[in-house]
Amino acid sequence: MSTLSISKAIREGLHEEMVRDENVVILGEDMAVMGNVFAITQGFLDEFGPNRVIDTPISESGFTGMAVGMAMRGLRPVVEWMYDDFITVCLDPVMNQAAKMRYMTGGQVKVPIVFRAPIGAGRRNAGQHSQCLEALFTHIPGLKVVCPSTGADAKGLLKSAIRSDDPVVFLEHKLLYAKKEEIPDGEYLIPLGKADVKRPGKDLTILTWSRQVYFSLEAAETLAAQGIDAEVVDLRTLVPLDWDAIRASVQKTGNVMIVEEGVRRGGVGAEIAAEIQEELFDDLDAPVARVAGANIVPPFSPPLEDVMFPHPADIVAAAHKLLAK
Amino acid sequence: MRRFEEKAADCFTKGMLAGNIHLCIGQEASVVGSNAALRPTDYITSTHRGHGHLLAKGADSGKMMAELFGKSTGYCGGKGGSMHAADVSLGILGANGIVGAGIPIATGSGMASKIKGTDEVTLCFFGDSASNQGTFHESINMAAAWKLPVVYLCENNHYGVSTEIHRVTNTENLAVRAKAYDIPGVTVDGSDVLAVYEAVKAAVDRARSGEGPSLVENLVYRWQGHYCGDPAVYRPKEYLEEAHEHDPIANFRRKLLADGTATEAELDAIDQQMADEIEAAYEFADSSPYPDPSEAFTDVYSEDNERCVAR
Amino acid sequence: MATEIKMPQLGLTMEEGTVERWLKAEGDTVKAGEPLLEITTDKLTNEVEAEADGVLLKIVAPEGTDVPVQGLLGYIGQPGEQVGAPAAAPTAPAAAPAAAPAPAPAAEAAPARDKKIRISPLARKIARQMGVDYTALTGTGPNGRIIKRDILAAAESAPKAAPAPAAQKSAAAAPSGTAFPVKDLELMEGDTVEKLTGMRRVVAQRMYTSAVEIPTVTQTVKVDVTALLAFRKELKEAGHAFSVNDFVLKAVAKALRKHPEILVSLDGEQIIRRAHVNLGMAVALDSGLIVPVIRDADLLSLEALSAKARDLAERARSNQLGADEYKGSTFTVSNLGMFGVESFTPIINQPDAAILGVNCTEDELVMEADGTIAKHQVMRISLTFDHRLLDGAAAAKFEMTIRELLEHPMDILL
Repeated sequence: MSTLSISKAIREGLHEEMVRDENVVILGEDMAVMGNVFAITQGFLDEFGPNRVIDTPISESGFTGMAVGMAMRGLRPVVEWMYDDFITVCLDPVMNQAAKMRYMTGGQVKVPIVFRAPIGAGRRNAGQHSQCLEALFTHIPGLKVVCPSTGADAKGLLKSAIRSDDPVVFLEHKLLYAKKEEIPDGEYLIPLGKADVKRPGKDLTILTWSRQVYFSLEAAETLAAQGIDAEVVDLRTLVPLDWDAIRASVQKTGNVMIVEEGVRRGGVGAEIAAEIQEELFDDLDAPVARVAGANIVPPFSPPLEDVMFPHPADIVAAAHKLLAK
Repeated sequence: MRRFEEKAADCFTKGMLAGNIHLCIGQEASVVGSNAALRPTDYITSTHRGHGHLLAKGADSGKMMAELFGKSTGYCGGKGGSMHAADVSLGILGANGIVGAGIPIATGSGMASKIKGTDEVTLCFFGDSASNQGTFHESINMAAAWKLPVVYLCENNHYGVSTEIHRVTNTENLAVRAKAYDIPGVTVDGSDVLAVYEAVKAAVDRARSGEGPSLVENLVYRWQGHYCGDPAVYRPKEYLEEAHEHDPIANFRRKLLADGTATEAELDAIDQQMADEIEAAYEFADSSPYPDPSEAFTDVYSEDNERCVAR
Repeated sequence: MATEIKMPQLGLTMEEGTVERWLKAEGDTVKAGEPLLEITTDKLTNEVEAEADGVLLKIVAPEGTDVPVQGLLGYIGQPGEQVGAPAAAPTAPAAAPAAAPAPAPAAEAAPARDKKIRISPLARKIARQMGVDYTALTGTGPNGRIIKRDILAAAESAPKAAPAPAAQKSAAAAPSGTAFPVKDLELMEGDTVEKLTGMRRVVAQRMYTSAVEIPTVTQTVKVDVTALLAFRKELKEAGHAFSVNDFVLKAVAKALRKHPEILVSLDGEQIIRRAHVNLGMAVALDSGLIVPVIRDADLLSLEALSAKARDLAERARSNQLGADEYKGSTFTVSNLGMFGVESFTPIINQPDAAILGVNCTEDELVMEADGTIAKHQVMRISLTFDHRLLDGAAAAKFEMTIRELLEHPMDILL
């Protein structure tokens, strides 16, 4: 075990894969000479050279589409968007090209790309640099979607994402980069589509991912002091979804809450809640609860931004309401 | 190629084809001359008007026709259709239903050749309208900066669906845009198969030798409307008259006969052979079975497909 | 023969077009190639040209209607020629057949409904498993909802709860033939209530009695009707129009003569063997269902049978059947093929011992003996029979005879 920041854990994962497989190349804005705005790829240019660590112009549509062509030719590009908000200027190569190419060619090609992007609010970056857009990606058949919370998960999941033959959107919460955590030593992989119970409990299931895992754990401690034993399930991967884990937890507790930072309307939580009520209705002791981002544009001013996304106190309050306690 | 398109149009009009198709009748010299400059190991990306590009790169007319019919024996098992037919094993990196979307993909293919240190060239077909997409400018800029082995081939038929190019573009020709990226740009009579071949061959050789990308603009005529069944009332009738004067096939036939390269009988034999091949392609497509509905759920993902499709 | 004018496919993803303007009126003379009407799709307007010389006999799709691709717009033909007008919507009979017995008035007004019980799905499941009666519990969940902990608490305080009371309540079913169980259904916003009367009540009663009394089995058999349809077309071209249903009725009548064991009725401890092939023929009406009977159907020629069937159906729809015309069936045929039904399980029309459901014809790819693939038409027939009187093998043999006949249509006539 060694203690690393989460951004360093991601760096380790990337580095190991680039050493292991020469087909892995990374490209994006300010990746090479500068080494990425969060210093994730610092030093990579010297080690792997300009053919595998590529500084692109600010042409998101162009270089994202280029990655599709590279992947169809057998490379395994890892593309970085500086913020997930920038998907708006390069959605076509992701949604209409990468996601659909295998299907439209009747299975002739594989498109092994990882799209990495920081997500999330809390850094006072305002409307165009603070969104959690995972719901946008889960809506697109052909994409896999990964949202790690811990450094250990981020590293193991990133390595699996790079080895996956499908396009994977890998979303990293920017407020977690600096968090220092224990990372296992040596090579390890965490499979896509496997949830992780971060805290076992019997009264209430909290399904969550990314930064809200930490808020949920904090809320669970508060609830424990009040005699409510909450189970926190970190979904980690949203496509494919670990339904077996969700079912097992719901059948154990009978009460479910979904906690996400993204906008509530049409969120991933809405989809999971719908699946649960269809499949597990007779296991529910109360309607599925959602705690999610407000249906607003991310504001700039700190007191405004703070009401936009859920905090531990919101989760605690929602648990009281759900359990009628 | 023309026979293929005519047969496809015939089948479409009779209601045998679902969806819609875009024909390249009139543009054959551009398609054939360009592809002739490639090696079998080279790559192409194509467009929504792509049947010809694929056939010229060696695609099987039966599997192509079956794909248009949505049959299980088509190139993509009926999942792609007219706008997405592809045979990757022939270096065809897909046709594309999104105008301009193939340009970055071709650029990525060029990037792959560069990274791998191999000498395949990627020929990127697109139309006049795609040259007004951001992807065109973003891609050529990158390819020029990194000297990627890509030939950008603009088939300028002067119409983006119904909009005449000069109504939305200031320059007379589109090849001048190459100047902005400091790469060669030439405008060619796209109805002259030999002129096309010469121009594209020069660009391909340049790309292969590591000197970077070029832009070749083939001036062509789109005989049909945008799609099969489009009455194309937005075009002056002179366009079609001019188009027929530039018929690439009839003109080349006359030239071959005039300079004694071929006899009437030889050319008739080729025509007959083509007609037979296309009839066989049609028979194959028409008699092939439709895919089983369960096929709709396969190949969305290459790993863990069932679980990803279920929820 | 009149030529049909159809909505053309004009490319893109066109699924339907709108009739913008007819350029010709009914009765106008038209020449092939002459514009007949204008249609619009999205933003394009196109003309539809006549495919034949003649007279515009009939406009089927008036201006402003949306018509799917290949949908009928009108007919061109010779002056005075009759064209297949689309079947007029059957008019609803004013009243149920006179013979429908007037039922006794339904039970008096339902008692006031109980207070709605709010209970979570999980709590309900646990209550069922533990035998807890939750109807009198007060819930501690939001809005007084009974939740899991309430059931657990109730189970603890009354360890030997009485058996679930729900079962007793519903057992108080209405005696057969007079009324159906009263369930005190909860009315929701916009619901309305009407009395079960007339033909609906007769149908309800007969179907209920049949379903409750008879242990049924339904067997479905696939029939290749390619030859039959070709034969029918041939006859039609020769001027003899018969429906598929006519052939089915004739084949069934013939098959019943060969298998008299199907023609039985059960009466207490007695089995009645029927002497006549009296074919009941289910006819759908807006207000319900009626089964007129073709007597001695096996003795009628195809032509006579067809005429009789048409006459009975028409008079059933206009409520003009005599009381004896829907009694005395010994076997019944119910055809839902025209509605695209692929297979169903008809309910026996008592006192018959069996009923044949006829389904739609579908195209199917068939591998021929030489390995080539050919398009065939198939139709499923579904026989429901009374297993007290008949067994699976006997029923299957009967169905095989029908299939043989339908697959070799000449044999139906011979």
